[in-house]
Amino acid sequence: MENRTVIELRAVKKTFRDFWYRPVVEAVKGLDLTVHRGEVFGLLGPNGSGKSTTIKMLLGLLHPTAGEIRVLGAPPRDTQTKARIGYLPEVSQLHPFLTPRETLMYYASLFGMTHAVARQRTEELLGMVDLRHAADRAVGRFSKGMARRVGLAQALINAPELLVLDEPTSGLDPIGCREVKDLVHVLAKSGVTVLMTSHLLADVEDVCDRVAILDRGELRAEGRVGDLLRKSDAVRFQVEGLSEQEASALRNAIETRAGRAVQQDYPSMSLETFFLQTVAADGRMREFEMAPFLKAAKRTPDRESDA
Amino acid sequence: MGAIVYTTVTEAIQQPIAFLIQLTAVLMTLLVPVFQFHRFGEDGRLARDSGLSCMLIFGLALAVGTAGHSVADEIARGTAAAALGKPVSRVTFVFSKWLGVFGVVAVFWCGMLAATLVSERSSAHFVTQEQFVGYATDPLTLCLGLFGALGALGVAAARHYFWRRRFGVSAFLGVALSQVLVVALSGFYNRFGEFFPMHSEAACACGGEHAMGGALLYHPELNGRVVAAALLVLWVLAVFAALATALATRLQTGAALSICASVLFLGLAGDSFAMNASVFSLRGLVAGVFPDVQHFWLCDALAHGGRIGGGYVAEAGLYALTCCALFLTAGCLAFRERDLG
Repeated sequence: MENRTVIELRAVKKTFRDFWYRPVVEAVKGLDLTVHRGEVFGLLGPNGSGKSTTIKMLLGLLHPTAGEIRVLGAPPRDTQTKARIGYLPEVSQLHPFLTPRETLMYYASLFGMTHAVARQRTEELLGMVDLRHAADRAVGRFSKGMARRVGLAQALINAPELLVLDEPTSGLDPIGCREVKDLVHVLAKSGVTVLMTSHLLADVEDVCDRVAILDRGELRAEGRVGDLLRKSDAVRFQVEGLSEQEASALRNAIETRAGRAVQQDYPSMSLETFFLQTVAADGRMREFEMAPFLKAAKRTPDRESDA
Repeated sequence: MGAIVYTTVTEAIQQPIAFLIQLTAVLMTLLVPVFQFHRFGEDGRLARDSGLSCMLIFGLALAVGTAGHSVADEIARGTAAAALGKPVSRVTFVFSKWLGVFGVVAVFWCGMLAATLVSERSSAHFVTQEQFVGYATDPLTLCLGLFGALGALGVAAARHYFWRRRFGVSAFLGVALSQVLVVALSGFYNRFGEFFPMHSEAACACGGEHAMGGALLYHPELNGRVVAAALLVLWVLAVFAALATALATRLQTGAALSICASVLFLGLAGDSFAMNASVFSLRGLVAGVFPDVQHFWLCDALAHGGRIGGGYVAEAGLYALTCCALFLTAGCLAFRERDLG
């Protein structure tokens, strides 16, 4: 059980202080959290709830005021551990004068990849995030969505075991959001552990196995998405092709049998589904170039270096 | 580490301010022979001192600006956090940034050294020849230097227009390269523009070789003694690059520039501070803590044919390296516990 744990936080606190070391805000208050291998874990919460602070502590960018953090069995600042993590920041922080190709080569070299391997991985990821057409333009002039794609590609450059995504769909259009969610599904199937935050609850609901809800630095709820959302005292039937009379008769029968009022409605598809179907009809939806990335994801950086 | 160094250099010289600092320094150095009116036989010295001064002052501004852009701004912008989210330790990050800043300063230094040599050669020198005795300038070399710098801008613009190459990078490297090329070319003609290798003072000194005629000899009429003084300036720029990098881990560019300027002032005044000062006094402390910039500023030693020995340059280099190590250690300690968000 122990070796299945990828992220472990025990009584973690983070207090931001001013120049005189006086406490300004307590961003995280005694957080306990465990993420297991192969999970897609969602960290939810309103603005200022401590989601990004928690993620930055996991990456060793912020120091916890108290408590213990273990990531992949080591302290967050361990560079060997960081080599196994992919990180997409909340805002895509890129060198504005570099092109996407140069950006990916830069990040690849931070992982100690050989030039040939870095070049190959860069081309695969540029194809995956659909940026080959803009691969030689400076990222400083990119739209937020395009910069987000570059950020996503850099997070995957090392075929990580643990992928940390801070607001991954921020700035993306509905197609991009769908692609990111598809990507998370694919990565999870290949055994990658994903920790993500999002304001868009539907996104989290779509992809996460478990979620934790933070509010003002405190853990309010944690568990499997299905368990948290299940209404145990209600049952819902969905029948297709009933006429109005048949539906009314069925409702009356249930009400008579159960002795309670029954709610009846007509389910509708989500706006996202409708949008994607509409765009797909125009042929704008594209298949993710997953195949090369999945091959890459199954390789480890060490084995590549030997190649 | 190499990737961070390379990216730091590329990003820094892409900034318009880096290229403007270099162009201004080179043009100011090259124009000294044009605007100097008091000869008294020391035109070359004036050009040399001006060139080295520009090298120090503009180099300091470039080092602080580059450190501010590549460390303080990256921390504020979040690209530092993105890099440190990868398997890069904070010590490696700080050290790589210093190497990157020093790399930019080193390219600037090459251009400025060449411009100083060009400027000194172009200044009026007293020449004794069969046909001419008196002061003679070298307008050809000066024009080559000026047009070389401006031509580099044209080439950079063309590269940007036709091949979409980065203008800032091409211009920064091009201006430095143009001055080095002028220095290299100047060995093929004499002060009077004659394409004959033996000329002027050198010709006077080795008239026998003049008689060799026809044989193509390469003899740049340059003051090689400037190189040692310029190397000392490079050492002090390395020290200030380390100080600026260390400061930039906690402070913005303006504050870092103020502190560096103060350290330069105190460092230049170090001898005065140290004079008869007790080790445990404030003056003694200032003299002991701040790098003694006087060790690196030996323009006067070149006057009247003086030379700076190679041993001294090496010892000064070791002193500079020690200062760099101290500043970088302080920078790493300051950066170690800094929250990056």
